Amino acid sequence: MRVLAFTGIELRRLLRDRTALFFMVLLPTVIILVIGATIAGIGDLRVGVVAANPTGLAADLVDELHTTRGVEVREAGDEAHARDALRRGELDAVVVVPADLDATLRAGDEAMIPVLTTGSQSLQQAARSSVAGAVARHASRVLAATVAAERLGTDLDSQLALADATQSVLPAITVHTETVDGGTNALPGGFGTSAPTMLVLFVFINSLAGGAAIIQARRLGIYQRALAAPIRTAHVVLGETLAYAVIGLVQSALIVTIGTVLFSVDWGDPLAATALICVWVLVGTGTGVLAGTLFGTPEQASAIGPAIGIAFGMLGGAMWPLEIVPPAMRTIGHAVPHAWAIDAWTELLSRGGGIADIAAPLAILGGFAVVLLAVAGVRLGRRLD
Amino acid sequence: MTPVLAIALKDLRQRLRDRSALVLGFLAPVVIAAVMTFAFGGAQNFHLTAAVVDADHGELAEAFTAMLADDQLADLLTTVPVDDPATARSKVDAGEVAVAFVVPAGFTEAAHGGGAVPVTVVGSAANPMAAQVATSITEAFVARFNAVRLAAATAVAGGVPAEELSELAAATARRALPEQITDESAQTRRLNAVSYFGPAMGVFFAMFAIGFTARGFFLERANGTLDRISAAPVSPWVVLAGKSLATFAYVVASLTTMAVVTSVAFDAYWGPPLTTVALIVAIALAMVGLTALVIALARSERQAEGLASMVSFALVLLGGNFVFIATAPPALRTLALFTPNGWLLRAVTDLGTGAPTSAVVVPLLAILGFAVVTAAVAVLAIGRRRLR
Repeated sequence: MRVLAFTGIELRRLLRDRTALFFMVLLPTVIILVIGATIAGIGDLRVGVVAANPTGLAADLVDELHTTRGVEVREAGDEAHARDALRRGELDAVVVVPADLDATLRAGDEAMIPVLTTGSQSLQQAARSSVAGAVARHASRVLAATVAAERLGTDLDSQLALADATQSVLPAITVHTETVDGGTNALPGGFGTSAPTMLVLFVFINSLAGGAAIIQARRLGIYQRALAAPIRTAHVVLGETLAYAVIGLVQSALIVTIGTVLFSVDWGDPLAATALICVWVLVGTGTGVLAGTLFGTPEQASAIGPAIGIAFGMLGGAMWPLEIVPPAMRTIGHAVPHAWAIDAWTELLSRGGGIADIAAPLAILGGFAVVLLAVAGVRLGRRLD
Repeated sequence: MTPVLAIALKDLRQRLRDRSALVLGFLAPVVIAAVMTFAFGGAQNFHLTAAVVDADHGELAEAFTAMLADDQLADLLTTVPVDDPATARSKVDAGEVAVAFVVPAGFTEAAHGGGAVPVTVVGSAANPMAAQVATSITEAFVARFNAVRLAAATAVAGGVPAEELSELAAATARRALPEQITDESAQTRRLNAVSYFGPAMGVFFAMFAIGFTARGFFLERANGTLDRISAAPVSPWVVLAGKSLATFAYVVASLTTMAVVTSVAFDAYWGPPLTTVALIVAIALAMVGLTALVIALARSERQAEGLASMVSFALVLLGGNFVFIATAPPALRTLALFTPNGWLLRAVTDLGTGAPTSAVVVPLLAILGFAVVTAAVAVLAIGRRRLR
């Protein structure tokens, strides 16, 4: 009962603190939204089209580009704008459709279509290949109509129409695609990535920054006064720790609810997800209480806490997938608990795993939690005695 | 020593005594830039290893596999011959190869005979882009054959006698496709991760100065320091100016350290030294404006702390300090240009990718404009109430 009284006081203090509520609820929501929206678009190649005279066959070519799978075609304005966007990395490639394309093709001449890339970034060759595929498809239709028009002595437009009609019944050589599972090592795109990673990041950062409250209480002598009452040090330590665990659980529940309702995130197997969240909250709680005994001033805890939280998040794959970092960094990343939590979320969200599939990361996170809580409890107890 | 300078130096001494200011202003951004540099060090190239199954052994299949192994695709693709489709699928599934091309038995024969057997591209759910790229490469290859048969079929539909067909097909096959793409390099510089996230993290951590200063102001008001200062012939505006100067100096020192350390140790590019100095000064002025605004709007230490945190996080989120803003949807990119940090990142992106130095003018004006507007609003708001 005495333990719970301590817990209750901490929770009431938190509810009155609007800044803390901002960090618990609003900030994670906005970050999930911004990061989710940003990474949702990653995956499609972004191809800018500059078409000074989008009529006739030039318009057809732009349409053909639009039908290319995996390519997001954007009107890029004039060439100068397109070059700026390409340089900044807002586009992967720019197709400059010549103003005289229609006339050139109708005259039976060959048209050159410049494709601008910076040649330096990862996706540009891929974008170029996709554009080349679309241009070849368009060119094959124009060539067929041109040849037919020459033989028959008719105009190109009627042969284009005839070619379109013929194409729909002609057995063309096609490209069949099939997808195998491939055992992905990444979280699902968009909010499926931003929601679980931000849960991991924010529960941890919030717990760390929460250490500030313990330091403040210590400095104000609140614990000493509480111990004047017939209450044991262990009760105070347990009460404080429980309060942080409850706060972490409430924050996680809010992020899960917001993720589900606003961003349609599927959190995977409920039992496994609950277990993972509980263990993660304990890791956060242990770190938070430990921070409360390590830092000297509340300012240090609330300022350095987020910095450590962000650095750990980066190392552990909460800010970007560890898939893209060199193997050595991946190994180093697994020294922080975040990497194990993200591994477990990936198993649940991307591979439909259950609790048995995440037993290993759960056990390791449990180990982190036990050690952190034990060290934090002992240190806090010593500070109070 | 003028009172403004005295107050500024006192504030700076006080802040540096608390180690958190040193950690946040100098250590944390450098450590985080280092983590980013190592994380993104080897992850810049998109290169596929592809399994190729030639079950056809005909001339078309050979032409196809030769094209895949061609120098033109060498940067993008490395091919590995595989005996049968099942092995290719299992290699894709196991992640040994990103994608597999399967040319089925009878492909050449069917193509010559007017029939059609599809080429299969096997991709993995783990790497959808590899499948797209492989599909496009294959489509570019088959487009020529489709053109030949479409030309023949169209000619027949238009009334060309059947006996001319084989000659027409051969003539078509000899012609090049009427549209070819030409590769043009946009002549830009490559922006490495630390050139973007170095300044981004520097500004993020510098923003903690807003909260420090604003809190300090209200703490001093609460514990009577400001009242005691007013016993001297020093106006409240001088106190505010002193605190602003301290914030300015702290942000300039923090960002300059960041610029020097990331440039020297991690090969970040912040632009020519003069423009970097101008940008750092401008962003420090914007921080001063924001600090004044927080002091003007808050009523207590707690409010100041909360408001400063919210303003800082809103700005870094919108400005693109945590995401590479170029990959964000256009609407988010536009929103970023309502923040001074968004303009700073625009400037370093432009400079880092090889834009002329003049590209920095508009961002500089935008950041300074932000500083002027926030400071003006703060002065107006403060003017309506007593400072102490």
